[in-house]
Formats: sequence, C-alpha cells, structure tokens
Amino acid sequence: MSKNIKAEIAVLGAGPGGYAAAFRAADLGKQVVLVDKDASLGGVCLNRGCIPSKALLHVARVLEESQEVADFGITFGKPKLDVDKIREWKNGIVSRLTRGIGQMAKARKVQVVQGVGKFTSSTEMAVETDDGTVKIEFENAIIASGSRPATIPSFPVDDKRLLNSTGALDLADVPKRLLVIGAGYIGLEMGTVYQALGSKVSVVEFMENLLPGADADLVRPLAKRLKARFENIWLKTKVSKIEPQKNGLKVHFEGEKKVEPQVFDKVLVAVGRKPNSENLGLENTHVNVTDRGFIEVNEYQRTADEHILAIGDVAGDPMLAHKATYEAKVAAEVIAGLPAKFDARAIPAVIFTDPEIAWAGLTETEAKAKDIPYEKSQFPWAASGRALALGREDGFTKMLFDPETHRVLGIGIVGPNAGDLISEGALAIEMGADAEDIGLTIHPHPTLSETVMNAAEVFTGTVTDIYVPKKKK
Amino acid sequence: MIEELKLPELGEGIDSVEISEIRVKAGDTVNVDDVVLVVETEKATMEIPATSAGTVKDIKVKVGDAVGPGGVLMTVEAAGDSASKSESSQEEQSPAKSASSDETADETSADEKPASEEASSKKPQPKPERPAVPQPEKGEPTPELEPRKSTGNAPPLASPAIRKFARELGADLERVSGTGPKNRILKSDVEAYIKQQVTRAQSGAGGGVGIPQAPEIDFSQWGEIETIGLNKIRRLTGQNMQQSWQVAPHVTQFEEADITALEAFRKSEKAAAEARGTKLTILPFIMKAVVAALKAFPDANASLDPSGESLIRKKYYHLGIAVDTEQGLMVPVVRDVDKKSIMELAEELADLSERTRERKVTPAELKGASFTISSLGGIGGTYFTPIVNTPEVAILGVSRAAMKPIWRDGEFVPRLILPFSLSYDHRVIDGAAGARFTKFVSDMLSDIRRLLL
Repeated sequence: MSKNIKAEIAVLGAGPGGYAAAFRAADLGKQVVLVDKDASLGGVCLNRGCIPSKALLHVARVLEESQEVADFGITFGKPKLDVDKIREWKNGIVSRLTRGIGQMAKARKVQVVQGVGKFTSSTEMAVETDDGTVKIEFENAIIASGSRPATIPSFPVDDKRLLNSTGALDLADVPKRLLVIGAGYIGLEMGTVYQALGSKVSVVEFMENLLPGADADLVRPLAKRLKARFENIWLKTKVSKIEPQKNGLKVHFEGEKKVEPQVFDKVLVAVGRKPNSENLGLENTHVNVTDRGFIEVNEYQRTADEHILAIGDVAGDPMLAHKATYEAKVAAEVIAGLPAKFDARAIPAVIFTDPEIAWAGLTETEAKAKDIPYEKSQFPWAASGRALALGREDGFTKMLFDPETHRVLGIGIVGPNAGDLISEGALAIEMGADAEDIGLTIHPHPTLSETVMNAAEVFTGTVTDIYVPKKKK
Repeated sequence: MIEELKLPELGEGIDSVEISEIRVKAGDTVNVDDVVLVVETEKATMEIPATSAGTVKDIKVKVGDAVGPGGVLMTVEAAGDSASKSESSQEEQSPAKSASSDETADETSADEKPASEEASSKKPQPKPERPAVPQPEKGEPTPELEPRKSTGNAPPLASPAIRKFARELGADLERVSGTGPKNRILKSDVEAYIKQQVTRAQSGAGGGVGIPQAPEIDFSQWGEIETIGLNKIRRLTGQNMQQSWQVAPHVTQFEEADITALEAFRKSEKAAAEARGTKLTILPFIMKAVVAALKAFPDANASLDPSGESLIRKKYYHLGIAVDTEQGLMVPVVRDVDKKSIMELAEELADLSERTRERKVTPAELKGASFTISSLGGIGGTYFTPIVNTPEVAILGVSRAAMKPIWRDGEFVPRLILPFSLSYDHRVIDGAAGARFTKFVSDMLSDIRRLLL
C-alpha cells in the first residue's frame, strides 16, 4: 500500500452516509478515497444497527405470529430455537450487504483504506492501518464518522453481561432475565427481540413515557402490547447501581415508586447515542464542535473549515441512516459545484417494534412546544378491513394539516408496517400536497395505505368508511 | 351562506393592486355596494364595494398586501343566514355509514373485480350537483398573485425537484408566482421568472445597474431626524425617473415665445369660456402648438423599440399633462388633442386635473401618452430641464411668462415672453431637430393663426 495518497475527496467513515457520499462524488467524476476502521463496510447501520436488528425483529415477528394465529384456529407446536443458526442467518444478511458495498466501491474506482483516520491539518489526514501510517492529502474531506452507544460511567466496565446495542445484536445467548435500561427505540426493539426469543424482559426508563419525544397517542398501542409481554415496565425510574454477582447483575433502582433491587442475567444499556467527534484530530482543523459533540454544519453540510464537510450522526440529530444518505449526496454535490442544499421538509422516523410507530414532518409534541397551529384528523385501523384481516386493529393513522392551506404538515402512524406507510406522508409534505390531494388519490383496496387516504378524508369531510359527527365551529 | 368578496378585474394590464385602506372589520354589517376596501393601482385608487349584503366574517387581506384579480378579499355571511356557520365543506357531507360487516363483504367482492372494470364503471358517473358551498382555497384556481402572505408561513408550493431547479438558476421561490393548481410553482413559472429578471436587467429597469449602492448612513448622529415611508406614487415616480435618466441620454433645448397677441386673444375669449363654465388658460393653446410640432416632426411623437433596432411612430396625439398632487406627481392623458377644439381641451383639462388631485382618475386615463407637457408656469421660474417620460422621447417644460423689453424696429417694446424648454432622448432626436422643434412651437405660439395653416 502506498504511504501517500492524493485525493480530491477523502471520506471518513463508510456507513450509509460515508459510502453514499463517496459513491455520489465518484459518479460526479471525483477521485475519492474512503476510510473506515472496519474491514466490513457499511458502518453501524449495516453491521451493528438497522439491518441486523431488522433481521432479528423479523424472527421475533414470526415467533409471535405463530402463537397469535391460535386465535384464527391454527395451532403450532412450541417453536424450537437454534440460536446459533439465527445468528448465522443474521450475519449472512449483513455480510452480503457489506460485500456489496465493497464491490460497488471497486466498480466506481473508489479507493478504500482500512484504518483509523485522523486529521493532521485542514487538507491532510493520517490513517493508522495494519501496514503503518497512510497519509492522505485531500482537497476536500467529508466526515461521516457516525455515532456510538452512550455509556453510563458508573456501571461496571468489563462485565460481559452488561450489553450495549452491539452486544445485544451479537446474540451470544438468550438470557433468562434481561433488563433494558432506556425505553428509546433501540431498547424497545431489542427488548422485543429478546422477549420473543424467550427472555423475561424488564424495561426501566427515566422519563414518564416509553419512547420519550414521540407523540403519546402513537405510543399508547405499543405500550399496551408491551405491558402484556414484558415482565416489568418501570417509568420515572433510573438505575442507581449495578453490582456484578456470580448469579448475575444485581440492579438497584431509584424512582417515583420503589423497585426492589433484583438480579438480571444480562443488562442492556440503551440510553442513546453519542456522536463520534473525538479523536478525529479536529483540533488540527477549523471545524467547530458543539457542547453535545456534534460537528457544526450549515445547510450545505459545510463546517467552519472550508475544506471539510460533515454528514450523518456526527453532524447532528436526528441520528438516522436515511438522513445521513440525503446529507451525503448534498455534500458530494456541493463539492462538485452543484447547487445542492439540505432542503428536506420531512425526515421520517420509524420504530420497528410491534406495532411499528412512524412519523414524518410535524409532530403534535413539536407543534405544541413551538405553538404551531394545526388541525388534526385521525383514522382508526379498527375501521380498516385489511387491518382486521391481519388480526390487528390497534393501530391508527393521524395527520396534521395547516389550518389555512390544508397542506399536510405531519403524519403519524402506529400499526404493523407503519414504517412502509409513512413514505406517502413524507412525499405529501415534500410535494406540498393538501388533504384534498390525498383524499382524491385512489388508494388500492384493501390495504393499510388506505388509512392515509381515509385520514385525509376525515379532514375534508368526505370519508365514508367511518361516521364522523359534523364539526361544530 | 358565506360569500367571498373577490377583487374584480380592474382593467387591462392590472395584475396587482395594493390594499391601501380597509373600511370594515369582522362583524360589521354591509349592504351591497357599500365601499369596504380601497385599493391602489400604479397611480390611481379605487373603491371596492361589497357584492353581497350580510356580516363580514373574515378579512383575508391587510393594508399593504398585493392582490391580483380574483384574489379573495373577505368573506361575508349572507344576512338572515346565521344557522350555518361552517366554513369548510365538512358539514355538507351526508352522514356516512359506519364500517359494518356487510360493508366489508361488499368491499371484498369489489376488490375482486378487474381493476380496469372498476375504474371504468366509476368514471362516467355524473358529478353530483354541488350545493353552493363556500370553499376557501378550494374553488377555481385564482389566477396569478393570490397573496402568499395570507397563507401564513407556508413555504412556496413547489416539489423538491422544482426547488432544486430554482436553486440551479438562483431563483428565490418566494418571489415566483405559481400558475399550477392552487398556485403551485411549476418549472415553467421558474423559467418565466428568470426570463423576466433577465429582460429587466438588460433594459436597465432594475435600477442602478453598475452603479454602486448608496451607503447606509445614520443621519441621526448629526441631529434629529424623522423617517417617512414613501407612498406608491412616489416610489414609482422615483423608479421611472431613475430609469429614464439612466436609459435615455438627455438633451434640453431652451426657447421662448412672444405670446403678447395670444394672451390678448385668450383674455378676449375668457368671458365666452366662463359662459361655458370653464376657465381658459394658455395650456390648451400650447397643446395645440405641440400637436402641430409633433405632426411636423413625427420622430418626437414616437418610442424606441426595446431592441433599439426601430422607431415606433404614433399616429395619435395623446398628451400627458403633469399634475402636482398631494401624493406626488401624476400624469393624466388627454387623448386625441388634434381632434379637439381649444374650448373642449380647456374643459377636459379642468375636469381631468381636478379628478387627478382627488385621485379619482382611472388607471386607463393615466396610460397611453405619446408626449408630455409639464407646466410650472403657475409657480414661477425661468427654465427647467424636465426628464423625459420614457418610453416617450420628448417632454415640454413650460415656465412662467413675463413682460420683457424686446428690441424691435430700433426701440424696446414691452412683450409678454413665455420661456419653455424641450428635453429629448438623443437616441431619437438630434440637436438640430430639437432646436427646430422648439422654434416651431415658438412660431406657432407667437402667432396662433399659423396653427390654421
């Protein structure tokens, strides 16, 4: 490997932000070097995040459904789990995808350097590889270093029974009793997986609701379902101490209601993620980092350093792969001199629990906090033939409209496949569609997607699938 | 029932007016033809009457808003119709059945029909008769400038691809008016906007092309100041004058006319004019002299083609007369001066200038001049250099007549001398032609019998 590389663009990090930036830039005729510390490209999302968790959630879903169909008159025997096989299957999906990224890099003539990259100046990066230091001299760099699980320093460091999301996805075994600290999307998704695989799962959350930040009405159907399946859900409670013992981890709680100290086989810490902005040598550049560790960028993804751009988790909330990919393309195009800009009006968010929760655009929580006027309409899935045929009537679709223009401001969905359904709402927001546009678009019957049309029709007063009393004004 | 009061068509070429006064508020009772709003066009104000009687529900505009024809100004709830307070179409929907099991069965069978059959079976159904439902923002697409301000902070209605296209061209979507459904901004709208900007920049109307902007100075550092907003007339006059000054190379020719005989004649006819109820001033005579000069020098009754390739001579003689009003300078137009008698002109001038001062002229009366006269004779001064009212190519500036000693036949004789000047666009009129023109006017005024020749 040559020890000195010159590049038009150096991309640090090969996650969904980094590889997209590298590939888009290469497609625009730029000479690109892609740096990642892992041999397996794809970042957290592909290796230790979105993809493996979805594989395991699918396993959980199948297990769950095999029991639910008893109500329909179908009874299966108790499923036999081969955890090694499940792990292998999950890893197979991951490696297939990450190999694909390597091949695409090759096809685009993007040079991949495996090692830990660090800026030595605004135009130079040193990468510590297995074969020594590689210097990359670049005209522009795109930082896509991502984020990592946040930790709680007072907890025991070197105990294998204390997991983060990465450890939980490794699926070393299925613990008898699992405590999940943090009821955010990672905690609830992994809790769902382990519960389906047979663990007794408890969740402890410091805030007063599951999924803090999400609209409370969207969370309610999920909370109801989890309450029936999880061993405990402790809200407004925090873990004060974890004592390693031979028979497990003894956990002490503090909170509104007294929770006795108890022993768990494993504890998953899922208290959020932290941007990877340390140890990048940013002090050798003009890049600014906020108090929370995010790299400051403008709408062109440029940092305070004219040579350096940043995208994805490290460049700010929300820490979502699809936001990173969008920003990646903006950054690559900005460097190529195209008039790109972060111009999205909605970033959908999905929680892949059962039921799924998804939203895009304005949430009611945000509208109330910022005093943004809106009118809400809602369609219950109990009135959807398709939802009933799936045996799931707990979901609903709600939409927020601008009271004056009737344009869609936000959409929230809870129910199976909410994550797939949300895209229509995101498109509506981007297109500036109003309630009538959606209500007058023929949606196929019988599908869950009809509930989006129906919610819009509740607003326009044209719905015929439910009875809505006349609005009094 | 709620009626919408929309801005009516106000005449050709008026695509936007400014709301200058709102005379009612929500809750007021109005009758048909009550004046509810006053709007301002380029140079005239117009009163907008209510078109239906009832109670004002909601005023959709505020003072200073720009509104185009068809734009909704306010909603009025018809008198004696207080039961229905619905503003949306919600109430008009007949109650729907709730989801029931047999409905589900129906839908399942419908689902099994081939899609095409289902679609075609639905198409030909006639539209149900719609009750007269007020449908704010749902009716016919309002043409052009529905004021975007009224939609709160809603961003411009444009898809991501159009937003990108606008970025590529550097177009600010807030300034682009959409022509698509519900004023959606289409690709062609962005293109039209850019084209308009380019044309404007090339013709120099943008103002200050290549001229460094005046620095902002805090005058209060030297003493007390007061900042007064300019009204629309003043702003437009400023723009037009600057444009003319920058675009047209100006030359001003001075001349004087001996109007002793003319003045004597005017005085002799004064009584006759008063008998007709009008006041005979010298201006109608000047107008007649100017028309004679324009006929002799047709290039002065012309406009330069924007391309600069050709001259457009006008076969009509419409004279703009500058009128000083409280709000600023306005130029109403007297049409077909060549076809009117002196008395008719006197009458028309009196009427037109009075209505102009009261701001009751129509926008049409402020357009179409082929030459302009600015008279400061009533105030004083000897000569001034008026600015051409482009796209016209010349303007006559008339000053105050005075008795002067004139050397004639070996002695000084007192004569009434009228000083005047002609500013012209040197791209069209040369110095010699300018001097000939003023000499011609002078000869005509010195002996008005020549007007008959």
